[in-house]
Amino acid sequence: MSESFLHLLLVLIPALPLAAAVVTAALGPRLLRQQSHVPTVAALVLATIGSAVLLVGVWQQVRESGGGPRETIGWSTTVELWSWAEIGGAYGSPPPSFRDAPAGFDVGIVLRVDPLTAGMLAMVTFVATLIAVYSTGYMHDDPSYWRFFSYISLFAFSMAMLVSVSNFVLLYVFWEAVGACSYLLIGFWYTKREAAAAGKKAFLVNRVGDFGFALAVMLIWTTYGTLNFHDTSQSAGVLGQTMLQEPQRYVAGGVGLAICLLLMLGACGKSAQFPLHVWLPDAMEGPTPVSALIHAATMVTAGVYMVTRCMPLFLVSPAAQTTVAVIGATTALMAGLIAMSQNDLKRVLAYSTISQLGYMFLSLGTGTLLGVVAGMFHLLTHAFFKALLFLGAGSVMHAMGGVIDIERIGGLRRRMPITHGTFLVGCLALAGIAPLSGFWSKDSILGAVHERGHHGDHVAIFWWLYIAAMVTVVLTALYTFRAFFKTFYGPEQIPSAAGSHGHESPRSMSVPLLVLAVCAAGAGAFLVPFSEFIVNTPSLADPRIALDQPAHQMHLNVALTSTACAVGGIVLAGVLYLRSAAALSWIVRRLRGLYVLSRQKFFLDEIYAVLVVWPCLGLATAAYWFDRRIIDGLVQAAVAVPLRVGQLLRGMQTGLVQVYALLMVLGLVAVAGVLLR
Amino acid sequence: MESELSLLYNYLTVGTLVFGVGMVGFLARRNLIVMFLSAEMMLQGVSIDLVGWSRYHDNWDGQILVLFMIAVAACEAAIALALVLMLYHHAGNLDVAFWQGTREENLPAYVDQEIPEVSQPAPAWPELTPAGIEPAANIEELTHREHV
Repeated sequence: MSESFLHLLLVLIPALPLAAAVVTAALGPRLLRQQSHVPTVAALVLATIGSAVLLVGVWQQVRESGGGPRETIGWSTTVELWSWAEIGGAYGSPPPSFRDAPAGFDVGIVLRVDPLTAGMLAMVTFVATLIAVYSTGYMHDDPSYWRFFSYISLFAFSMAMLVSVSNFVLLYVFWEAVGACSYLLIGFWYTKREAAAAGKKAFLVNRVGDFGFALAVMLIWTTYGTLNFHDTSQSAGVLGQTMLQEPQRYVAGGVGLAICLLLMLGACGKSAQFPLHVWLPDAMEGPTPVSALIHAATMVTAGVYMVTRCMPLFLVSPAAQTTVAVIGATTALMAGLIAMSQNDLKRVLAYSTISQLGYMFLSLGTGTLLGVVAGMFHLLTHAFFKALLFLGAGSVMHAMGGVIDIERIGGLRRRMPITHGTFLVGCLALAGIAPLSGFWSKDSILGAVHERGHHGDHVAIFWWLYIAAMVTVVLTALYTFRAFFKTFYGPEQIPSAAGSHGHESPRSMSVPLLVLAVCAAGAGAFLVPFSEFIVNTPSLADPRIALDQPAHQMHLNVALTSTACAVGGIVLAGVLYLRSAAALSWIVRRLRGLYVLSRQKFFLDEIYAVLVVWPCLGLATAAYWFDRRIIDGLVQAAVAVPLRVGQLLRGMQTGLVQVYALLMVLGLVAVAGVLLR
Repeated sequence: MESELSLLYNYLTVGTLVFGVGMVGFLARRNLIVMFLSAEMMLQGVSIDLVGWSRYHDNWDGQILVLFMIAVAACEAAIALALVLMLYHHAGNLDVAFWQGTREENLPAYVDQEIPEVSQPAPAWPELTPAGIEPAANIEELTHREHV
């Protein structure tokens, strides 16, 4: 396939969902109504086919270029659509680090494709298609059916652009665009108070992260004099060939560390990492397909994608890498602990998502090729099995009339056999049981962290992080199967809200479940080809990490330990939640403090309420009072003067004609008196 | 010259008297028609003054103006009397104290003496012998209203 054909595909993949969004928004409410899913599903199916073809094309290109001389690092190609901004001489006197940069602010609408982008595009469009099909069943009687599909298309467009732009400004633009879509979809049922509040919370918490990201972008510009990823005729891009071949040009020290930490702050917001993870559990107020698509499979992985993309920047700063790893491991462990005691099935899955994203960051933080590839592979497998779990939860919710509290449902395996089977596959994959996909990806991560615990900087920290990750493996198995057993096993328990709905979901919902279950089970087989493919991304082919390092490696003892941990967790869950309630309550009594911490989500919401919300509320109240009393008071005082004077003269307005006439006569006499004086 | 001046004095005296009578009448009387007559009298007092000055200055402009004033006053009288008639139809009363509606909202109405109630006899409509068939009432039209 020629490069120009790849460019065409690259433009079409985001353009189709955008067109669908516009068409659905324009025709949905009047013309399409209950057929509003047609443009979206059609566009997403075409985009998926396009992504698959693109993936194959990139694969071919990579193989062809692989045999030649290695004067280029990795493989990528860009297509410039048009120039968005050209501001010459934007930087008065460029610092020496700019070297040959033109010191102008030039932003072109440039799309790029490399193995990383191709892989992300394929995953995003594929999962989005399945979830759009699922939504036709899940949302079928919603009055705002068309609005849902319009938003979903808009999101697919934004996400496709996010992973294929070649510029930090555009990355930021679409970073915000997916955030806006997330806000719109969390608050999809905006008349419900909790949903509106959750949307607002997600938006505000993300602002904190985006603030960091914006600062990082500005700092990158002042440091490198360009915001392009790729080389242009005028300047060497931040992640372009020129820089990668002379890695000493990357600015280290305080500035390098600041850029990385600010980027990580942005990633923390979008990917729900500690301490900015608080919005994701509340985001479950949105429709379940949205939780599956945006808040599990795609948008929340944008942070992981961004850090992977910026890996050359992180490589100059071991401290930043270690920070990423520590944040990841902390988040993984903490979210795992919280998930242990939540009773809302979707919340359990949300905390599980946070925990798994923590794994990905831990893996990226190792700063080795092994780790980065493992993180990206976990992103891919996690997208499949977590989307599967969320759709399964949605299927349960659909059948139970909106009830998702695992204390109120139980023993559903006979009524919902397909959901039960596919959910089981998802749970096993999440717990990391061989040979399902989760095993391979999680094991790669654990292997990379284990390896890092022996070589490189901060060895001791990484050793502890390895132990934390292993503990999280037990927790993952435990909370996953706790939710699974409570939902599908035990005595049958169906809430009254279910009515006559308590049956298996329609085919439009079960088919995506089956497809995702197959993917979640089988994606592990692609570990080796994926690794060999993805390392051809320029950012990952950086000689500082790519030389003499394998992209994947199997650690038998790590694999055995993690499998033992996972199986142990599952067995423990079975014993505690199916066999022996006494043992469970004994454990809860013994670990009272930890249980309360877990149950109350480590009191983070309360801490934020005291530290952030209350001061803001206080300030707002003071400002309100000042506006009402002082500003309005001045205006009221100015108004009072004419009012008082008017009141004095008001008594003359009696409405009697003769009084007016008399006053006229008196006035006349007065005038005459003055004139004849 | 001497007689011209004394003639002017006479004109002015009569004019002032007519104006004064009109003004007092306008201020003191409460019947709308009488008040209107008084206002006309004030107008005519000014007219007499104009005529006097016109003659004194040997300039006919003033007298021509007076002719116009009389014409305008006639029109005005037609309108004003029509208004008075309407007011009477409206309230059955010609007391000016009856219309105090333009006073400030929070002021009490000025009452020096109670205005006597006028009882209007119920109008007696002519009765006709019915002819032809009474049309059937359209229920749809009676119960359904397009505009509220």
